[in-house]
Amino acid sequence: MEGYEDVSPLPLDTGFKDELCQIMYTDEYRMVVGTARALMERREYSERAKELTGRVIDLAPAYYTAWNYRFDILMHLARGNVELLNQELEWIDEVTLNNPKNYQIWSYKEAVLKNHPSPSFKRELPILQLMLDEDTKNYHVWSFRKWCVLFFGDFSHELGYTESLLERDVYNNSAWTHRMFVLKNTSPSHDHVLEEIEYVKGKIELVPQNISVWTYLRGLYENFLNANYDDEIIQFTSTFTHGVEEEDETDVNVEIESSCALEFIAHVYALRGGAMTRKAINAYKGLATKYDPIRKNLWELKISRVTKS
Amino acid sequence: MSTSLESTKHVKFLKRHLLMLPSSQQSHDVNRIAIIFYSIVGLSALGVDCSREYASSIPYIYQHYVKLQIPGYEEVFSGFVGSLATNVSNTSCISLPNTLFALLTLRIMKCDEFFQKTVDRESLGNFIRKCQYPDGSFASVLDMNKPTPSPVDSTDLRFCYIAAAILRLLGCETKEDFEEFIDVDRVIDYMMTKKCDFGGFGDYGETHAGYTSCALCAFQLLHGLDKLDSEFKERTVDWLLHRQVSNSGTVLLQEGKNPYYDPEENGGFQGRENKFADTCYAFWCLNSLKILDENEFNNVCRAGLAQDYLLTKTQNNLIGGFSKNDEDDPDLYHTCLGIAVLQLMNGTFDGIFCIPKQFAP
Ligand SMILES: [Zn+2]
Repeated sequence: MEGYEDVSPLPLDTGFKDELCQIMYTDEYRMVVGTARALMERREYSERAKELTGRVIDLAPAYYTAWNYRFDILMHLARGNVELLNQELEWIDEVTLNNPKNYQIWSYKEAVLKNHPSPSFKRELPILQLMLDEDTKNYHVWSFRKWCVLFFGDFSHELGYTESLLERDVYNNSAWTHRMFVLKNTSPSHDHVLEEIEYVKGKIELVPQNISVWTYLRGLYENFLNANYDDEIIQFTSTFTHGVEEEDETDVNVEIESSCALEFIAHVYALRGGAMTRKAINAYKGLATKYDPIRKNLWELKISRVTKS
Repeated sequence: MSTSLESTKHVKFLKRHLLMLPSSQQSHDVNRIAIIFYSIVGLSALGVDCSREYASSIPYIYQHYVKLQIPGYEEVFSGFVGSLATNVSNTSCISLPNTLFALLTLRIMKCDEFFQKTVDRESLGNFIRKCQYPDGSFASVLDMNKPTPSPVDSTDLRFCYIAAAILRLLGCETKEDFEEFIDVDRVIDYMMTKKCDFGGFGDYGETHAGYTSCALCAFQLLHGLDKLDSEFKERTVDWLLHRQVSNSGTVLLQEGKNPYYDPEENGGFQGRENKFADTCYAFWCLNSLKILDENEFNNVCRAGLAQDYLLTKTQNNLIGGFSKNDEDDPDLYHTCLGIAVLQLMNGTFDGIFCIPKQFAP
């Protein structure tokens, strides 16, 4: 192979006659992987070795040893050389765009950033934006984003960013949980929490049947307001249940706007206990018989729990 | 539409994956042991006696068991490499997932002799020990130049589960047995940091059914389930049951609005809130549920909706196999997990190790 004439590629064939899943390699694969392994064996730390690991990763992004070798080469060559580390970050972005589902990329990038003398969140924002634009719920990309937020200690872009995503798709659970992650890490003021509740109410009015937003609302009360559900939120919620929790018998002709709202209100009444327990039971009965019958057993279990306590 | 399991077609589909693969598969070369594992699990769950049919390939699998030293260090490690073609003689290419997959394959192949004589418990245990970080988490591979976790690998709940499962296969039973190789309290502390507000486990607060299953299996293996308080367990059961997609009641209001809602997926399970159902998440959710609440698990199974969803929507009755949803082509991973969850619901499958019950420890 050009530039590697002095290296004999290690063979890929095992010679076993009862090999399983034998693969018909392309010549390119044999050459690239065989040569890279030979370089790895002799621990060559050179520009050409780094270049070759890039070609290996292109062909086999899951080749974990190749990632490790590349990082070793980089650390040998860079020794704090910002230019080289920046080039590496650019190379990673390119691989990322070609392999959006590969998760090895993210931990590799974290390792490079940890070894960079002047890493920057600003540099990471465009690629994060691009990746999440393409796949708004990509778990690994969101995890990397949260890692960055903590690593750089910079929460300033996050609320605005999740707002823009929720504008696009109010059902985006990753955006809602990201928002909660930000709040939990930034100890918001009481006023901020109240503002947040207003924001959530707006999103509920837009689409009441959305589990992510109701969970988020409960999270606000539990994490910041000691789970003190006020009358106002009950009133707000009951506009989506049309008050069916008040009725001892479920009226099969009454439709509601959100089973999540009914579950929310049931939870709140169960917490209040006493005379309110009856309303919780009514709500769970409604869920079991009409509004969410697939989870009938769960709702009945909840009825037996609130009845006991 | 078919309502019964197309076993014959699935067997054919799975067997094809163990034969010569086209070059389009070469990117999976490095995890070939995983391909073998998914195929063998699927086949054995369908009643194929793999220990007979693939007996002649056992020496080939043994070849993936590698004992090694890192240049400049005394200690010995052992484990399985994902593929012989990507192994390098003086470099640690063994990984935790490939090690678990190979050991489970060998159990299905009834290679008792491997577990009794061939395996070197000390060096394999040492590999797992050195993959553990001080915070309790695990990387899946070692660094190539020193006996520490690879700096470029991720650490997540999968590897906690895999480490615990491997040690169980090596005979660890009590907490003290595990302590010989890993710091059990720290694994548990680490997993506790991955709990989410409304039940389940995930990274930074977003619950994920796959991670939830891994965490619960690890808690179970390490005898740590009682460390989870009852409220958290209840919330987790709640969360899991809510992952079943439904086409009846108020949820139907999402039709045409929520881009990730499809009433046709009634009975299927999603991996997170507001996502489409997916064959593999039926396994991850139901396996988690079974660990936490056998009764609710049985209720879901008895209702039959999950089974109907899998058999009529994601089973391919032309070429065999299961796909992730009702649109994609079938693939090996979803075929394995589709069969696995059906047999889990039948009571013949061990969800903790993801192999038929008869082969589980
Ligand atoms: Zn899947």
